[in-house]
Amino acid sequence: MATDSLELRAAYILHRRAYSNTSLLIECMTPDQGRLPLIARGAMGRDSGGLQPFVPLLIRWSGRGEVKSLGAYERGAPPLSFSGERLFCGFYINELLLRLTRREDPQPSLYGLYEATLLQIAGAVSLEGLLRRFELRLLEELGYGLNLLLCDAHGEGCPVRADQWYGFDVESGPVSPAPRDGVRVSGRTLLALDGGGALDETVLREAKGLLRHVLRHYLGERPLKSRELFTRL
Amino acid sequence: MSGKPLLEQLMQALRCLPGVGPRSAQRMAFHLLERDREGGRHLARLLEASMERIGHCGRCRTLSEEAVCALCANPRRSDAQLCVVESPAEVAALEQATDFGGRYFVLGGRLSPLDGIGPREIGLDLLARRLSEEGTEELILATNPTVEGEATAHYIGQMARERGIRVTRIAHGVPLGGELEYVDGGTLSHAFAGRRDY
Repeated sequence: MATDSLELRAAYILHRRAYSNTSLLIECMTPDQGRLPLIARGAMGRDSGGLQPFVPLLIRWSGRGEVKSLGAYERGAPPLSFSGERLFCGFYINELLLRLTRREDPQPSLYGLYEATLLQIAGAVSLEGLLRRFELRLLEELGYGLNLLLCDAHGEGCPVRADQWYGFDVESGPVSPAPRDGVRVSGRTLLALDGGGALDETVLREAKGLLRHVLRHYLGERPLKSRELFTRL
Repeated sequence: MSGKPLLEQLMQALRCLPGVGPRSAQRMAFHLLERDREGGRHLARLLEASMERIGHCGRCRTLSEEAVCALCANPRRSDAQLCVVESPAEVAALEQATDFGGRYFVLGGRLSPLDGIGPREIGLDLLARRLSEEGTEELILATNPTVEGEATAHYIGQMARERGIRVTRIAHGVPLGGELEYVDGGTLSHAFAGRRDY
């Protein structure tokens, strides 16, 4: 269970919503306590501007039970100023974290990944590439890391070849031959995702299909709502 | 019905109003019963009728008794400007504070995917139809300066630009009568970046 924090600790708000008349229920991401729900009493309206997602915060909390009380807080650094599409990407990674992580499961490296990704969103050229890299790293941090390089890992296994097509099993990785329907991915894309380089358009398109398939497995049937922001009415 | 005494039920029911806790609810209940029964009956009748008869305007989604609200039906208002706000209360605030003579569109919320609120839930399919069919020349984004309000503004702004409509956003800055020293950093940097010729 999360202990009271007497000193100010770093945190980001993943989500906030109204709670009773004047308070906010905020869901924070912290390095040492993982995801942490806090009540910010009387914060609605009055200076709630500081308690927003994508603002690096320093916070203090106290209390018993699952939901603690937010104490003093201040800005840790200037807020990340991203707008438009970048804001949509921010919502998307926040939703992924809310759906896939559990409360009070300390994962300092996950916090590092989150913070680094937010900073990159502010300046990234390819947002798609950034999101795919985030999804792969997130799966790894949660213990669902993908095998991208070894085909038919259950059987004899052979290295993935760039010029071949594969199916993909969420738990074991690439399978050959590729099925006629369902997710299909080229060896070239699998190799590119495993490497650290920039991802071209073809790779991005296939990677999107692949990661959707994988994420659906862990998220269940309810789709990610923030995906709707990327479609037009 | 539950077996609770009526008085207790009344006090409990009054607490559905914003800002009303147990003590205020008790004062209200005693006041109506002891001093103003007629006022209480009047309130009950009006509440009943309002809950039944007030719905949403089919064009701008603000609260309205009629299928189309008075602002949308007024022929003297201009169709060239359309102002998008989050709530009906903001229509009232803008009407009192400005001389805006165009039309409104009320979202009834803001994009907040983590609460399950996407473009359809705030009526953007209806807004898209209006933008395509009516001769809107300027779309004024008056959503709140929160991250969700910004995301909403961006989404709607894209919809309008795709249709060749000019998009403007209300200014955010130092409140009138305020002092720079006490304004929060975010607002101040926004106000500074958005300075105008003087």
